[in-house]
Amino acid sequence: MIRNYLKIAWRNMTNNKLYSTIKIGGFAFSVAICILILLYIKHETSYDRMYPDMDRVFRLVIQAPDGDKSVQYLSFPAPAAKTLQAEIPSIESVGRVLPNTLFGAGSNLFTVNGNAENHLDAGFVYVDQSILEMFPLPIIAGQLNHALDKPNSLVITKSKAQKFFKGNAVGQTIYLNNNKNVLYNITAVIDDVPSNSSLYGYDYFISLAGQPFYQGEQNNWGATNYITYVKLKENTDLGTAQHAISKNYVEDHYIPINKKNGMKISPETMQSKVLLQNALDMHLYSKNILEYAMATQYQGDIKMVWVFAGIAFFILLIACINFVNLSTANAATRAKEIGIRKTIGSSRSTLITQFMTEAVCYSLISLIIGLLLAWTLLPLFNSLANKTLVIPWATWYFIPSLILTMLTIGGIAGIYPALYLSGFQPINALKSKSGSNPKTALLRNGLVVFQFATSIILMVSALIANQQISYMLNKDIGFNKDQVIVLRGINSITSEVQNLRNELKAIPAVSNVSIGDYLPVPLDGVKRNGNPFWAKGKEDLELPEAGQFWNIDENYVSTFGLRLIAGRNFNPQIASDSSGTIVNKKMITTLGIKGNPIGAQITNGRTWTIIGVVDDFIFESLKGEGYVPVCMTLASSPSLLSIKTKSTDMAKTLADINTVWDKFAPHQKINYSFLDEGFASLYQDVERTKNIFSCFAIVAIFVAALGLFGLATYVTQQRTKEIGVRKVLGASSLRLLKLLSGDFIKLVFVALVIASPVAWWAMNQWLRDFNYKIDINWMYFILAGMGAVLIALGTISYQTWKAIRTNPVDSLRDE
Amino acid sequence: MIQLKHLFKWYNVGGTRSFVLKDVSLDIAEGDFISIMGPSGSGKSTLLNIIGMLDEPDEGEYIFMDENVLEMKAKKRSQLYQSHIGYVFQAYHLLDELTVYENIETPLIYKDISSKERKAIVADMLDRFGIVGKKDLFPAQLSGGQQQIVGIARALAGSPKLLLADEPTGNLNSKQGEEIMELFKQLNDDGVTIIQVTHSEKNAEYGKRIVNMLDGQLK
Repeated sequence: MIRNYLKIAWRNMTNNKLYSTIKIGGFAFSVAICILILLYIKHETSYDRMYPDMDRVFRLVIQAPDGDKSVQYLSFPAPAAKTLQAEIPSIESVGRVLPNTLFGAGSNLFTVNGNAENHLDAGFVYVDQSILEMFPLPIIAGQLNHALDKPNSLVITKSKAQKFFKGNAVGQTIYLNNNKNVLYNITAVIDDVPSNSSLYGYDYFISLAGQPFYQGEQNNWGATNYITYVKLKENTDLGTAQHAISKNYVEDHYIPINKKNGMKISPETMQSKVLLQNALDMHLYSKNILEYAMATQYQGDIKMVWVFAGIAFFILLIACINFVNLSTANAATRAKEIGIRKTIGSSRSTLITQFMTEAVCYSLISLIIGLLLAWTLLPLFNSLANKTLVIPWATWYFIPSLILTMLTIGGIAGIYPALYLSGFQPINALKSKSGSNPKTALLRNGLVVFQFATSIILMVSALIANQQISYMLNKDIGFNKDQVIVLRGINSITSEVQNLRNELKAIPAVSNVSIGDYLPVPLDGVKRNGNPFWAKGKEDLELPEAGQFWNIDENYVSTFGLRLIAGRNFNPQIASDSSGTIVNKKMITTLGIKGNPIGAQITNGRTWTIIGVVDDFIFESLKGEGYVPVCMTLASSPSLLSIKTKSTDMAKTLADINTVWDKFAPHQKINYSFLDEGFASLYQDVERTKNIFSCFAIVAIFVAALGLFGLATYVTQQRTKEIGVRKVLGASSLRLLKLLSGDFIKLVFVALVIASPVAWWAMNQWLRDFNYKIDINWMYFILAGMGAVLIALGTISYQTWKAIRTNPVDSLRDE
Repeated sequence: MIQLKHLFKWYNVGGTRSFVLKDVSLDIAEGDFISIMGPSGSGKSTLLNIIGMLDEPDEGEYIFMDENVLEMKAKKRSQLYQSHIGYVFQAYHLLDELTVYENIETPLIYKDISSKERKAIVADMLDRFGIVGKKDLFPAQLSGGQQQIVGIARALAGSPKLLLADEPTGNLNSKQGEEIMELFKQLNDDGVTIIQVTHSEKNAEYGKRIVNMLDGQLK
């Protein structure tokens, strides 16, 4: 019996090539998208699960009230960890991570064994030995135990060891940024950090056991720079531990010690408490944490996981709907077969089984093609989603669970057509008077409306996301990011650096050159900080305002095109400029400086006299908090060099720059990037969202169009006779075209009406994350609606045209 | 074998009843060969479909081999149908996607006959109707007469006691029609009860009895 079913299924498939292609194609596409999305979700939810005892490992989070909301931070003082370990018995171990570029984490220039050659690489981080034990990785060489106990010890990953070191890396030394006084000793090589680890992106783990970064730093309760982890002892009650830790840190140490040192404590700080964030939650549940971007290179968001899951579900649903639609639409051609089968003795259940077998065959073939498609599309998807996913062919449950899923989906998609088709009365079926009952028509139309509504929602989302991105990229940001080339790793040039600058400046296409690490765009190696500021004289009266404290040179303002709105630029010839500052407008308003700001003084511990004010500029993502107060002073920060060019021939200019570079640093490869690219990369995640939505929108509209094609086929088949009669009565082709298309276009309009408020609501939610955002314009809905109508028209025109062109003599003959 | 008692069938058109069958009573004995004649719309196909259990009357009684068909459960009726009735159509109604062999085999599959037995029966049928050489062809590759022969072979594969034929020669030329009629006569001689609907006086003559219909009534 089953062989018979399979045979018939196969023959039906091959006989109706167009139908089968549409059915299988639509299904396979959806399957492929779903597989990719599932891989993505699986990866996102697998973070840090490879480590043991993760149920006991927690990251400390400070939560403080902020108006009627609350803010969360990750930054703790250096001594907090060891104090907690000493005083809270339920803590098994503590560990600290310092990823702050200000202290030399991030990207560094390094030299192996004092060789002439310098390398620039990212991925440096300071950690405690215990971090390597909480998040252990297979050891390749050396010993993991006590690897970071000694000062200036360094653990690196396998791929870096192979890339930069000859032979066994353990025992070899490096120094950083031309500082030959501090040698780092490699004590162990570990396996590469897996992409689903929170430590992914770090390759050089430097011991925190070394010299403090400044005198007394390791015992300073005032400076909060460390991300702190604790591992609780087994069977510890989480609530009790959290309470104990919070009380110990906030009430017993942080507040009293800082008070004693004369720091003003804000009421928010008084009410702050420590939360324990489980290590397994770090990847997906940290969007609300302020320094999250700094603490984690690859950020996840549980919201995105849900959005993806929802999209996968909807695409699969659309595919199932299509399957139902196309199967029932094909009913007229199957009707005769059903009639015959019934008259030669088939029972209804036999027919149902037959149609179900067919449906399952379709879904299994779609699965195979979908898998191949997913495999082909994976690189594209990886670049879209910024992932390195692989299809887990070898996992034992992968193929069986897929097959099981597809059997279920095939069954679900097949059951309605099976019931519908098998219910035909044989007599009517043989006379091909099958099915046009109003109930199924309503269902079918409803399904088409649903599909198009989903597609329109995705289309509108993609359009709005696109608009938002171009808005952000083109908004006036208060400085000029274009045609600036940034060279990295110039600390190796030391005393020659001014000569390098002069020679670069001498290149005709170069208009200015600035040396400094505090660029207005967060490229790799760019520094940021956070300082408390007061207007001079208010230190003891008011709480400080947070601001940035940047070291710049006298060429900074013109190189980056900052707009000076009062006062003047720095002049190194004027001795008093060493205690002068250029601030942005935001600093003036935030500190409440009234009258002429030039000559006013501000303080962050040291006192600065304002000599210039620049217009506000945006140096973080436009998503973020907007303008931030900045205090710029004349001081050196020598690892980045920015070159403003006026050339259109960038290749020639780069070649000239390279020539100069090779003269000054013959053993170091030039490493440069463009400021505007760095700016664009700020919006990578938004860009990614847009691309993903665009792709999904295309798939959804494609699959929906397939469904519409099926429906058009069905309806025109049903109306062949009507069309014939109308033609005989003298209707023109255009009239008929209008008549036939009109019904479908109505459906698309209904879809538009349903989709618009949903899309509007969803995109409003999305835009809420942005500080600077576009208004949602009704044009997007018109555009998406028009797109859907055009696609629908294109889809149905073939069938409609065919029906109209049919000679009425043929269509009326079967009476 | 068959007793039809006071069968009525009607459609409601605009509030008035339009009768397709009007008080039809008919007895058919085993081994009979009946030709139902009448003009288009006289109700002969409806009568045949009711006898073939593909349709139901609105009123009346239908006794098939001493059992009341209309009071039977659908499953039982389908069993009765499977084991006793074969159907031949004017338009042949072969399954286009199946070969000659498979077309003949399909009703046997529905009757849950074992594969070995099926092979024997189909081989026998192919042999009997002289279409062994065509067994792997699809219907579209056969002439009309050949298709009808396959249709008859399919109808007879389940060795029914009753063969129903709705204008079996309607789509055939006269020579092919004659061949089919000869075949029917021979089947009847072998003991198969046959009821055929036909327009042709000549074909009707092959039957043992002719029943005339007009406007839903027997004449």
